Amino acid sequence: MSASSLPQGGLPTATVTGAPLKVETPFRRFVSEFFESKTAVFGLVVFVLAVTIALLAPFIAPQNPYDLAQLDIMDGRLEPGTVGGAGFTYWLGTDDQGRDMLSGIMYGLRISLAVGAGSAIVACLVGASLGLLAAYAGGKTDTVIMRLVDLQLSFPSILAALMILAFLGKGIMNVVLALVIVEWAYYARTVRGTALVERRREYIEAAQCLALPTWRIIFRHLLPNCLPPLIVVGTMQVARAIALEATLSFLGLGVPITEPSLGLLISNGYEYMLSGKYWISFYPGIALLVTIVSINLVGDHLRDVLNPRLKK
Amino acid sequence: MKICNRVALLAAVSALAVGLPAAGQAQNITIAVGAQVTSLDPQYHALSPNYAVAEMLFGALTGFDANGRLQPGLAESWKPVAPDTWEFKLRPGVKFHNGNDFTAEDVAFSIARPPTVPNSPSSYAIYTRAVKGVEIVDPLTIRLKTDGPYPLLPTDLGQVAMLDKQTHEGATTEDFNSGKVAIGAGPFRFVSFRSGDRLELERNEDYWGPKPVWKHVSYRIITNNGARMAAMLAGDVDMIDQVPTNDIARLRRESRVKLSEKDGLRIIFLGTDQSRDGESPYLSDNDGKPLPRNPLRDLRVRQALNIAIDRPAIVQRVMEGSALPSAQFLPSGTFGYVPGLEPVRSDVNTAKKLLADAGYPNGFRITLAGPNDRYLNDARILQAVGQMWSRIGVQANVEAMPWTTFAARRTRQEFGAFLSGWGTASAEASSPLRSLTATPSREKGWGGSNGGRYSNPEADAKLEAALSELDDAKRETLLQDATRITMEDVGIMPIHIQKNVWAMKPNLVHDARADELTRAQDVRPAAK
Repeated sequence: MSASSLPQGGLPTATVTGAPLKVETPFRRFVSEFFESKTAVFGLVVFVLAVTIALLAPFIAPQNPYDLAQLDIMDGRLEPGTVGGAGFTYWLGTDDQGRDMLSGIMYGLRISLAVGAGSAIVACLVGASLGLLAAYAGGKTDTVIMRLVDLQLSFPSILAALMILAFLGKGIMNVVLALVIVEWAYYARTVRGTALVERRREYIEAAQCLALPTWRIIFRHLLPNCLPPLIVVGTMQVARAIALEATLSFLGLGVPITEPSLGLLISNGYEYMLSGKYWISFYPGIALLVTIVSINLVGDHLRDVLNPRLKK
Repeated sequence: MKICNRVALLAAVSALAVGLPAAGQAQNITIAVGAQVTSLDPQYHALSPNYAVAEMLFGALTGFDANGRLQPGLAESWKPVAPDTWEFKLRPGVKFHNGNDFTAEDVAFSIARPPTVPNSPSSYAIYTRAVKGVEIVDPLTIRLKTDGPYPLLPTDLGQVAMLDKQTHEGATTEDFNSGKVAIGAGPFRFVSFRSGDRLELERNEDYWGPKPVWKHVSYRIITNNGARMAAMLAGDVDMIDQVPTNDIARLRRESRVKLSEKDGLRIIFLGTDQSRDGESPYLSDNDGKPLPRNPLRDLRVRQALNIAIDRPAIVQRVMEGSALPSAQFLPSGTFGYVPGLEPVRSDVNTAKKLLADAGYPNGFRITLAGPNDRYLNDARILQAVGQMWSRIGVQANVEAMPWTTFAARRTRQEFGAFLSGWGTASAEASSPLRSLTATPSREKGWGGSNGGRYSNPEADAKLEAALSELDDAKRETLLQDATRITMEDVGIMPIHIQKNVWAMKPNLVHDARADELTRAQDVRPAAK
């Protein structure tokens, strides 16, 4: 392990010596490298757009799809472009309850993104802390934590999430909790791998010689050096969490039926697909797809930029 | 034109492949059903698909016509000979598939067996429980004693398949499933059974009733709605049951299939919480503060909620027309149906006025709970009701959950109002009256599914009288009275009665049944 870490250690100095006139901070270098890829920038733009739509949904959506009083069942399953009883046009059609699909998607994005980001952040905090602890403490602590991780990763995440939700019951907070339980292991394993390499470095030894408290060594010295892979995994896991939430909602275990997320909207229309009423499932499906792809584009490129081994 | 040729060619090839002349095809039928046949033991698991199979293989003393009215079966006639004794006259000359005669001994054996069947998931013993004593008068006459007058005995025995004592004494459920003792007196004989896949039957040439049309019946189990529909459209099967509501509109325009429909015996209704007098966590004012009194105890509030429901809209938009708006438990033609008791027209203004009179001019908030995997479109109906109540200011917090979760919560009254359903297999009104709206009482076995713990002594008295009235006409009047009293008091809010829908090839005729059973004896080729 220490052998493989040698070329990594040599790399930063090599780049710094080749720096041009402008002072190059690691962040600036990262930004400029990131913007080299057009696809990644495109992904970022789409993602920012999705977040903006989600945040502004209550102000820009033609209807509040979560307010039963604003829905009319007589407007149910209308084709895209029909003018409904309330006087505005359903640009993307309506679902079986007369819910405007455009508004439904805007509000659904809110839930999907919030659940995705929320669970990813919490899972990251939990997973990274445990991973660092395992790497730094070693011995029994390491064994216990890593066997837990193995156990977690050997279980299909959808099955684990289903079991957790069956136990906890429905509700958005329970979905977030289930996703955290399912996902922390990815962070833990990633961080432990990096941290194992880093903790043998001289700067950790130096910190230990200064008799700094353990928590300080872990969080001020070890953690910052483990961040790049964590960011990459985090981005990917947000996309995964969104997909998982959609799956759970599709299976009827996620959000309440009167407050559908994208997965539940797709599920609502699924039975009508063969009857030619494609729009109920189709448009939320596209929204979900675009969101997840945009995050993955950003994540993929982040990995390329942050992983020195992939550089030529 | 090309397609026509291909179809003709395909038909020719398939006829060759089967090795039968095209005319011979009319002797065979393939039916695909949407629910699992869990056992061939007709006394093991009381479930409608099993019951349908029992009616093809075995038969019972009494039976039900397409409307659910009682009719003779293996018993020709029956009458009460004393207030607590029923006498059944058996049909002479009936033979089991193995040639044994059907006698009173077999009846006594068949009635005694249900409680002894081990591990039954849903026992048939509830249908034989009333029998307290058996007296065999002669080989074709049997008297059954009950604990006091019990007018429902002939109805209950319609669910109990008749077995051959000689063959089935000591036979286990596995023996039935393997086909070893799948021997009855029904119109079809057993050929083979693969659990979860198919049951093959052939005509019983010595059947006592009208000779079955089909030489061979292939009874396939395809539980996936899409797969069953696809099999029908591809012509792999001649008939399917449980046509998904989403496809009905499309199938009506399709020339390759035709539909048969019948108002079913399953009512979908709303119940309200009558168990609490004061505060309830599932009812609050519009600011979320608990209400001091339970508004649902006020008849005017119940009436308002009832009038706010636009039943035709639910039937038309949610059920795609495959339901019947209803104001009582059963469809017309059944025992205890109240003629003239029709659903009220939905009227927002009247409902608002009733709410204002009751002291809730701005409405209130209510938890409306129900299953999402049990009845056709259950979660959609819940949301539609939520919409309609919001029009009169009653804000519903709609909670749809899996049936098992919901059933537990319903028992604990964890709702303001709930959606549920009730299938009346016996097609007479005492069943829903006893289970859904009678004052819950463990010793009487009443109110077992009375989720809201509704209670109305006047209706209870009528029901009590009906349950010991042996005269059919008088009993029907008493049941009608009890139903009318309950509905006028809005004990439950019926929404609709589901229609049972089958799809089949256009050259078939089907007598659609109210009780959802899919039986080969109800299908025949159309007259040419």
